[in-house]
Amino acid sequence: MSNYIERFSTRQRVLHWIVTASFFTLVLSGVGLFSRLFNGYFNFFGGGQNAILIHKIAGPIFFLSSAYMYLDHRAEISSFDSNDMEWFRKAGGYLSREPHHFHIGRYNPGQKMFALFIAVATLVLGITGLFIWVPTAFPRWIVQISLMLHGLMFVGSIMFMVLHVYLATIGNPGTVQGMLYGDVRKDWARHHHPRWYRERTGGK
Amino acid sequence: MADTINQSGRKGFLVDTSKCIGCRSCQVACKQWNKLEADKTANMGSTENPRDLTPALYNRIRFIEQESSGQTVWQFLNQRCMHCGDAGCIKVCPSPGALYRTKEGSVVFNKEKCIACKYCVSACPFNIPRYDSNDKVAKCHLCYDRIAAGMSPACAKACPTQALQFGNRNDLIKKATAAKKKLYGVDDLLGLGVVYALEGPPEQYGLPAKPEIPTSIFLWKDVIKPLGILGFWGSIGAVLLHYVTVGPQRTEETEEKGGSHE
Repeated sequence: MSNYIERFSTRQRVLHWIVTASFFTLVLSGVGLFSRLFNGYFNFFGGGQNAILIHKIAGPIFFLSSAYMYLDHRAEISSFDSNDMEWFRKAGGYLSREPHHFHIGRYNPGQKMFALFIAVATLVLGITGLFIWVPTAFPRWIVQISLMLHGLMFVGSIMFMVLHVYLATIGNPGTVQGMLYGDVRKDWARHHHPRWYRERTGGK
Repeated sequence: MADTINQSGRKGFLVDTSKCIGCRSCQVACKQWNKLEADKTANMGSTENPRDLTPALYNRIRFIEQESSGQTVWQFLNQRCMHCGDAGCIKVCPSPGALYRTKEGSVVFNKEKCIACKYCVSACPFNIPRYDSNDKVAKCHLCYDRIAAGMSPACAKACPTQALQFGNRNDLIKKATAAKKKLYGVDDLLGLGVVYALEGPPEQYGLPAKPEIPTSIFLWKDVIKPLGILGFWGSIGAVLLHYVTVGPQRTEETEEKGGSHE
């Protein structure tokens, strides 16, 4: 019997990596616009004007793929039950070395919050991005507020992203395999997502 | 790159609206010196022309028309970049050297370094910068090339009535204060490089009573940006701290024998 269980389908993994690639393209091409401190990042794209062009290409790719990813998962990520509340109360067990026992389904509430935040950020970044795209076509106050919100959502996204990457890699060994190959170890699934594991395997 | 200003050596304009006759010599002289193309305009039923600044029009006369006992009475205002002491455009410009301050205190631009983000358009308290057909910033640069050569700006040189006076900013203010003029822009935004002597409230001239960098721009650059940089490094620090203190959640192979974690 296989020691592995499928967590993400090929379609889900390809979609995730399109979102990832466009996100980091946006970060690298946009960080020089965020602050003059990061002016050097323009060099990756051959100057500021090219960086803006790349930003404008990666933007719609991120928006569409991220919006699709949200729609794909919206049922699983937007419902919280009492087990999730218990997880929140104990911060997912991440603040102590004591063993913890959570009755977690396919996604834990932290992952749900992350997914919901990215969904909101995608929407806000996309809409404000349109105003910033052609600022002279819109009233000044709309563009001014857009610049602020775009920056705010960028900051939130990048902070969440640091956490996401940590927890999905060295923070929880065995997790990233699901996104790389689609399969995770059964003992990993039992440990982190016991309810999901039971639903998938009937408890075996 | 902080934008700092040396107030004592600062040069600027004093625009005395009581002396302006609306001849538009300043507009024409500016076009001529800076080799700016003519803009095609249309009759909008007013003597004011053109009706707005353009990438090829760095300063213009705003006509304030009022009815007074059956007659049209005009007030004139020379509209241009104010060369703010605390300049919103320099504050938001992401490309070093695209917008910068000269040692005389003027805010000037370098089209070569402009990356066409148009942030300066949104950050200007006076809505001055324009973008040309090549998507590069354009606005009054206070004839920094003439000033550097010891001359006065083209507009001030052409003004026939001394409505536009150019010189040491502190001296101009001192003189105007002594003459009991009502001044606009002495202290706002660390002092405007263009100080107006007005004959009425600023709003009547289409000027904001209390010019400020827009609040959202302030929040963006002075609050969100520093907090964001702190937040980014802070979150990296936090996860590293977590890794070496609490550590990763390892899944023991031995757990395979049963759902002990349920």
